[in-house]
Amino acid sequence: MAKHYDVIVIGGGHNGLVNAAYLARAGKKVLVLERRHVLGGAAVTQEIVPGFKFSVFSYVVSLLRPEIIRDLDLPRHGLEIMPLDGTMTPMPNGDHLWRVNDHAKTRRALERHSKIDAEAYEEFGKAMVAMCRFVKPILGMVPPDPTSLAPRHWKVLASLGRRFQSLSAEDKYNLVQLMTMSAADFLDQWFETDVLKATMSASGIIGTFLGIRSPGTAYVLLHHYMGEIDGAFRSWGFSRGGTGGISNAIAGAAGEAGVEIRTEAPVARILVKNGEAQGVALESGEEIRADVVSSSVGPSLTFLKFIEARDLPGEFLEEVARYKYRGSSGKVNLALDALPNFTCLPGPGRHLRGAISISPSIEYMERAYDQAKYGEFSRRPYIDMVIPSLTDPSVAPPGKHVLSCFVQYAPYKLSRGTWDEQREAFGNTVIDTIAEYAPNLKNIIIGKQVITPLDIEQQTGLSEGNIFQGELSLEQLFFLRPVAGWARYRTPLRKLYMCGSATHPGGGIMGAPGRLAALEILKDVGGGKN
Amino acid sequence: MSAEERTDVAAPREIVIVGGGHNALVAAFYLARKGLKPLVLERRDVIGGAAVTEEFYPGFRCSTVAHAGGPPLSSILQEMQLAKHGLTRLESPVRLFAPSPEGRSLILDTDSNAAAHRIAEFSQRDAARYVELQRALTEVAGILGDVLSLTPPDVDKPSAEDFWKLVKVGRKARGLGKKGMMRLLRWGPMAVADFVAEFFETDLLRAAVAARGIFGAAMGPWSAGSTALLFLRAAADPFPVGNSAYPRGGLGALTAGMAAAAKQAGAEIRTGAEVERISVKNGEVTGVVLRGGEEISAKRVVSGADPRRTFLGLLDPVHLPPSFVTKMRHYRSNGTAAKLNLALDALPNFTALESASEGNAALAGRIHVGPGIDYLERAFDDSKYGEFSRAPFLDISIPSVLDDSLAPVGKHVMSIHMQFAPFQLKQGDWALQRDALADTIIKTLAAYAPDLPGRILARQILTPKDLQDTYGLTGGHPFHGELALDQIFTMRPLLGWARYRTPVKGLYLCGSGTHPGNGITGASGANAAREILKDLR
Repeated sequence: MAKHYDVIVIGGGHNGLVNAAYLARAGKKVLVLERRHVLGGAAVTQEIVPGFKFSVFSYVVSLLRPEIIRDLDLPRHGLEIMPLDGTMTPMPNGDHLWRVNDHAKTRRALERHSKIDAEAYEEFGKAMVAMCRFVKPILGMVPPDPTSLAPRHWKVLASLGRRFQSLSAEDKYNLVQLMTMSAADFLDQWFETDVLKATMSASGIIGTFLGIRSPGTAYVLLHHYMGEIDGAFRSWGFSRGGTGGISNAIAGAAGEAGVEIRTEAPVARILVKNGEAQGVALESGEEIRADVVSSSVGPSLTFLKFIEARDLPGEFLEEVARYKYRGSSGKVNLALDALPNFTCLPGPGRHLRGAISISPSIEYMERAYDQAKYGEFSRRPYIDMVIPSLTDPSVAPPGKHVLSCFVQYAPYKLSRGTWDEQREAFGNTVIDTIAEYAPNLKNIIIGKQVITPLDIEQQTGLSEGNIFQGELSLEQLFFLRPVAGWARYRTPLRKLYMCGSATHPGGGIMGAPGRLAALEILKDVGGGKN
Repeated sequence: MSAEERTDVAAPREIVIVGGGHNALVAAFYLARKGLKPLVLERRDVIGGAAVTEEFYPGFRCSTVAHAGGPPLSSILQEMQLAKHGLTRLESPVRLFAPSPEGRSLILDTDSNAAAHRIAEFSQRDAARYVELQRALTEVAGILGDVLSLTPPDVDKPSAEDFWKLVKVGRKARGLGKKGMMRLLRWGPMAVADFVAEFFETDLLRAAVAARGIFGAAMGPWSAGSTALLFLRAAADPFPVGNSAYPRGGLGALTAGMAAAAKQAGAEIRTGAEVERISVKNGEVTGVVLRGGEEISAKRVVSGADPRRTFLGLLDPVHLPPSFVTKMRHYRSNGTAAKLNLALDALPNFTALESASEGNAALAGRIHVGPGIDYLERAFDDSKYGEFSRAPFLDISIPSVLDDSLAPVGKHVMSIHMQFAPFQLKQGDWALQRDALADTIIKTLAAYAPDLPGRILARQILTPKDLQDTYGLTGGHPFHGELALDQIFTMRPLLGWARYRTPVKGLYLCGSGTHPGNGITGASGANAAREILKDLR
């Protein structure tokens, strides 16, 4: 019965599926193995409360590479992104800050807080666009090895150097700052309104165990800004039917290209012989052979769990053990009987159709981080929430709603107690925090799902619950991701590749690692063009 | 009438140097050596800037601001012949004494085997790793050592010289091999807390080493980039916990020696001469105006003052491009360090030393108070919200243990560098908080040396405000501006202006606000002089 495949892809998350689809389209015989009953990894939709479809983990999208949407013809496979319009930040004093995609409106909104900032906001937008233009190609680039003298590496580095040279003095200045500064310090140079700086800096800490004052967070700010200027869709958005819709569309494209997908097929081991990957063994004991194994799961699972230590160089294992995950966020998904009513903007309205950000001040954000540093979840956390049911009625019964809350900080390692003991308290903290701005919340909750970093790890397999499969910190980016010297999707084992978010350019529903890895695999094993 | 209009009778001087700090004196020496007869103008009555020895209580003298010198680059020590100019280095075999609240302690000797031996009392593994760390830092020093005395390359159009200098550094780096190079690239931007965790399991040891990555900075051990700062310091002295050598007579003796060397080379030094304004005409520097109105015309002006003071204080912004002024306003130079100097009638007894074989010899080096990474981080946390640390990090020296010239026989001076004390307080101002700060420091220290409070004859507290007002450090920043990833090397003080020149023709920077700008190394002054001489050719 022993069926033979060209490639086995471990993990049916969005990167695994993208990777498989590209390989199959190049004529490879590909098998995807997913541990769970549902595809998508952290990009899944599940009906936790009857009638309510939760985007359990990842809940908005903006980074999905346009070339992938094009190549895999995802819209035809059911991908539909509905725009998420703007961000509203309620303030403790009953005021609010509401930025929308409409520039004129946003400008007026900002002027209420500061005329100077309203001016600066336009300039800032332009500057960031220039920065994104510079960084974007890097997202589509296999990281060169700066320690190598091989021309193929130096050419890339030299071209980066030349592109940097060609930037204007101002752009150079902004770029080096974005690469080295903290989000808070960077924004301080542009704006004076505390709540504006706080809300904007929030995107600099998502998925990291850093505070908005930690150097390196300005880059993550840019990483998230990237999506907002994408030609494909101008801003963050929802996928119809929840984030799982994206995974399903990619799975559809993969299936059409001939990819075989097996769910509830947990991998136990990667079969290695003489430094070469030869296939995998499932927990069921079944062994499946393949010429190439492409792992979309994190380095800890791939190298520490699935492979015997003796099959890998000690130094490499040391580096893998050193790779930082440090999950710092949780999720609270609520089934609501009605819409939350915010004191700052009472009643329903467009402000509920965008993101609602609990990030009232720089100090609030930083104090939330301080508590996490010492192993406690934030007593007053940063919360980014959306009500997808307003834009996509298919996710809740008529008149009812889904409130999806991303919460930071929730450190994976607690100084006291376990997450199973703290889950309830964590959920309540989040609800209490929101209720301070939307007092009716507690009376309209008809179902809730509290997801701790531990739950993220156990359910999706993301080590320590880091949503990016490893921290996006300066020492874990580009040619250092995930392990210095192994940033080119290859591994110390022949025929074994990495294609998950732990590889460049990292996390977010982007798909770039899966695609880049596929192209590298095809370079090595040969195969049709795509 | 302003300087612009007045025509001076006296022929303009070749070079005037603003400030008499150590970098200014080093620059003066190298410029004088080429026969340029620079004139150094020091605002205070004592030269040395932040490297001074002052009597803060009758009979008691100490290095009032900086107390642990860089150390100065060996090239500078030799070329200035500082030994000949009265500089004697007193070196304690014990570099660092780090007591723990439980009465244990790390006593780290210059001899790394001896140090490792003491570390083994805490952890065998750490003892071995300590030697490894020293090796790693020595490698780093091998590469960054050259970078310290390198003019940062021109980012817009690197010259062939820039290129070859970098290639030279690159070649050295290649010597580390792929693994070594990658390690360096990975370590640089890391939080020093993560860096030390890669080596040690003992929290006290982690903290003692990590302290070097946050010294004088608005960073905690968990701030990314603090490892780069540790490396910058290791480049000057690869010993893991920094140096413990003091000039006899305090750091003032070092700068006095530098002044003597500069004078002998032909420099003129005036104290009590405060530069109030740098005069500019048609985008070109024309001289300086002193407080009191005296005008000194000069073809070139070299500022040893920090960048903010130079560009936002001494210059009329109309002479600068608006974007340059904006960027300079954003240059981060708010300090977080304070200083407490104590006159003691006897050495305090540290609980941790009762059992130690070294006894008080352990007090001859530096004393580190900050027993754990979290302790240091919490100390930093307070400062983020405009409060000084309730449980501060202290870097202490008792120079009188080795140096009998500082205090009456049997008596001592204790010099305490404290972090974190933010320049901007949330409540009240430093005039109201200074005593509370001093009391907090003494209380903290008393937990390790219970008899200290009873030994104090007098105290001098220097808040960040004092460091600004008395010593001219804008924002009270000991290093003329944050040494963070975005303000080092080609970005110090600003990207595009890291080569000691400024937008004003004939105006140069030579202070700690330029590369490498890190402690009392003199490298900034020497680099600046080299660039000025190039322009004169």
